[in-house]
Amino acid sequence: MKYRAAMPFLLGLLAAGCSHVSTQAAGKRMIVLGVDGMDPVFVENHWSELPNLNRLRTEGDFRRLATSVPPQSPVAWSSVTTGMDPGGHGLFDFVHRDPATRMPVSSIAEVSDPGRTLTIGPYIIPLTSGSVHSRRAGKAFWQILSENGLPSKVIRMPANFPPAECEAESLSGMGTPDLGGTFGTFTFYTDDPAETRTEVPGGRIVRAAVSSGRAALRIQGPANPLRKDHAVTSVDLIAHIDPKESVARFDLADRQFILRQGEWSDWLRVEFPFIAGLKSASGIVRLYLQQAHPYLRVYSSPVNLDPEEPALPISTPAVYSRQLAQTLGPYYTQGIAEETSAFRAGLLSKDEFLAQSRKVLADSLRMFHYELDRFTNGLLFYYFSSIDQNAHMLWGRYDSDLLEIYRAVDTAIGDAMRKAGRDTALLILSDHGFARFDRAVHLNTFLMREGFLTLDDPASVGDEELFAHVDWNRTQAYAVGLNAIYLNLQGRENGGIVQEDEKEEVARRIAARLKEFKDPATGQPVVGEVYFPEKEFRGRNLQNAPDLLVGFHRGFRASWQTALGAVPKLTVEDNKQAWIGDHCMASAEVPGVLFGNRKFRAASPRLEDVTATILREFGVAPTREMIGEPVY
Amino acid sequence: MDFFNQVIDAVLKLYFALFSWAPPVWGLTVLSAAVGVGMLWVVRRTSNQRRIRQVKRAVTAALLELRVYADEPAATGRALRSLFVANFRYMGLALKPALWLAVPMALLLIHLESFYGRAPLTPGRETLVTMRMAPGWSADADPPRLEVPPQVRVTAPPVRAAGEREVSWRLLPVSAVSDALVFSVNGVQVRKSIEAGNAQRYVPGRGVSSTMATLWSPAERQVPSSAVEWIEIRYADASMRVFGLEVNWLVWFFLVSLVSAILLKKRLGVVI
Repeated sequence: MKYRAAMPFLLGLLAAGCSHVSTQAAGKRMIVLGVDGMDPVFVENHWSELPNLNRLRTEGDFRRLATSVPPQSPVAWSSVTTGMDPGGHGLFDFVHRDPATRMPVSSIAEVSDPGRTLTIGPYIIPLTSGSVHSRRAGKAFWQILSENGLPSKVIRMPANFPPAECEAESLSGMGTPDLGGTFGTFTFYTDDPAETRTEVPGGRIVRAAVSSGRAALRIQGPANPLRKDHAVTSVDLIAHIDPKESVARFDLADRQFILRQGEWSDWLRVEFPFIAGLKSASGIVRLYLQQAHPYLRVYSSPVNLDPEEPALPISTPAVYSRQLAQTLGPYYTQGIAEETSAFRAGLLSKDEFLAQSRKVLADSLRMFHYELDRFTNGLLFYYFSSIDQNAHMLWGRYDSDLLEIYRAVDTAIGDAMRKAGRDTALLILSDHGFARFDRAVHLNTFLMREGFLTLDDPASVGDEELFAHVDWNRTQAYAVGLNAIYLNLQGRENGGIVQEDEKEEVARRIAARLKEFKDPATGQPVVGEVYFPEKEFRGRNLQNAPDLLVGFHRGFRASWQTALGAVPKLTVEDNKQAWIGDHCMASAEVPGVLFGNRKFRAASPRLEDVTATILREFGVAPTREMIGEPVY
Repeated sequence: MDFFNQVIDAVLKLYFALFSWAPPVWGLTVLSAAVGVGMLWVVRRTSNQRRIRQVKRAVTAALLELRVYADEPAATGRALRSLFVANFRYMGLALKPALWLAVPMALLLIHLESFYGRAPLTPGRETLVTMRMAPGWSADADPPRLEVPPQVRVTAPPVRAAGEREVSWRLLPVSAVSDALVFSVNGVQVRKSIEAGNAQRYVPGRGVSSTMATLWSPAERQVPSSAVEWIEIRYADASMRVFGLEVNWLVWFFLVSLVSAILLKKRLGVVI
């Protein structure tokens, strides 16, 4: 009887215990802004021009933030997302390699085709659906918040494609492909006979046949998944060029618009038919009329997934991307939207790149302010890509242009500070800093010179990618990606020759050689650190891990040729490309920043600590795999 | 032809003005219901109501026969044959009123397109006006001169599309406007109305120079220059909200006229 009388009290206590986290955190608010590539030294040199960051460090706190190994954005942001190091979340580079083929593959997401299909004539009808899934392991912090009944909104978190399933509103970020499934492939149309290239990294150059002032251009869409031959879909874009004025009219389906030379179009919606009238994929593009006379030069952005009808999952819930588009208009959905590729290829000038980049930032700021205005409760995470992408093209040479981008982000930070006031926790972080990229290191050539990689013919050195002339029977190690060296390991690599018991010794010898590696032109040491994943990382999710990670000194970076498995003639050469800043170096060389509106306890915070801080703010315990500590 | 078109438009404008206090869907709904009644009247006056009644009875009988004698193939076959014959007769009897209705209905719908089919331009959003020139035009010649009302700006030089024999101008209505663009073509003044603003209104479509073509494009006066085939502003399609849903005006028009005809046919003693 006594127990029966106590039952309501006990049940009440139990219920209170169950809802402890959500009641404790009810009304809690936190804003976290992820600013890719914000560099501590640049910020410290420009306090007076960045008044909001300056105020935040004086009223709150500022530290350099230790970045990940290697300091690459998908790796670093995955550490923020999961609170684990790369050994936990399993992302070690922009690209991994398939050990069966040694070919580079995306480290972020994997697409699987439909299992069962029905073939009717030239068509394939899928009976089960295909899927796309993230390669990142571990739970995202907003999934954990959501499980605890805490609202959060996470916009454009890198390496969050497809977006982690949960009730929180989220929009995928870096790693989100274009409609063609690439990280962004632009098209450049021209009839300029001087332009003989047909492909450049990140883009294609298409010859435009101009006749009587008319050119039929073709916007290339995705491969048709419903056809046996997977024929590439396209839609016609007709350009009518005025015979005298530098202006052209474009006809795209039932839409017409005029562009003057040097003008960008609005977003244009394009439908790529798979089966006429029944099934199509929708994308959005932006055109730029660079020149009308004497030769036509038209740039078309990569075909972005249409946020109103995305062909791939880009948001949770699925309707969220549509709601944003209906409110704000179309926006860039491609993970990395700044057009660095066309600038690198010399197809866009610096000013044209900056104009496009400002459009990306304007898109982003519009979305940021919309969500900031709506923010009332829980967590708001928002990511800015502009500083990073502009720093790659401007670092150390065009500081005033870069400062303009920093200022725009600083203004947004000021808006967030006003919204946060005293009651809402505010964190600003970057995943890494920046350094000059003066000298390009051909790691595969280095491995060849040191006897770890052999070509079928020593004369076959060159820019041919994908290990075209590598003799795998006489190769112990190879480099893919921007910091990674893999051993040609027996039982793992197809036809690998390094025995398991030799593995450590070969890796150690390569590391020793790397440490001794000097720039032949200047005598400067090239490599500052060599990391062994098994020793470096606490996590044991190492099946995709390289055997060595190379940490270059400032000024050096793996060459573009290295990233895709080429073996050029020289080991180190001048970086003559427009991509002049980078961060894929030794982690200690390029720390990020951490600002907050509260004093930090941590003297040397690192990325994983941000995750722990967010969870602590809402009274949620971190998972066992998380390695960070709250910064205050 | 201009006079004929203007008379129809004047009547419709008067009607439109009567409902200017309400959302456009109200006026369209009343008009559609009236058209439904009008169609019933035409059917009663032009069709053989007695024969239609007989044929409909025959259809009913055949359907009953199919139901009752479902197990008897011979009877089912006979019933199906009767059903087909009766249906063909019904269609034959409906042909005459349909023909009587076709011309006035087509004219009405073509004219109503200007009232309900096109949305005025949105101030601040660019659009194109395109002039199709007559055969023999050379793209090397200077484009026609264009004068715009003060609320409209021309934001790019005209584009002469040689292959299409077209000249296009990019316009930006900076505020609401209900006025005309004035082109000077070989010394002849050609006017094209322009409408921008929020409220749904009379929005004329293409202006044409051919007399026959004005039947299909009746809202603008005939283009007075033989050097021009047509002029057109690219207006967006209008849509109306009915019970919270976006509906094309034609769908709503046919729905309301059909429902009103069905509801009123007994009262008016019409068999359809």
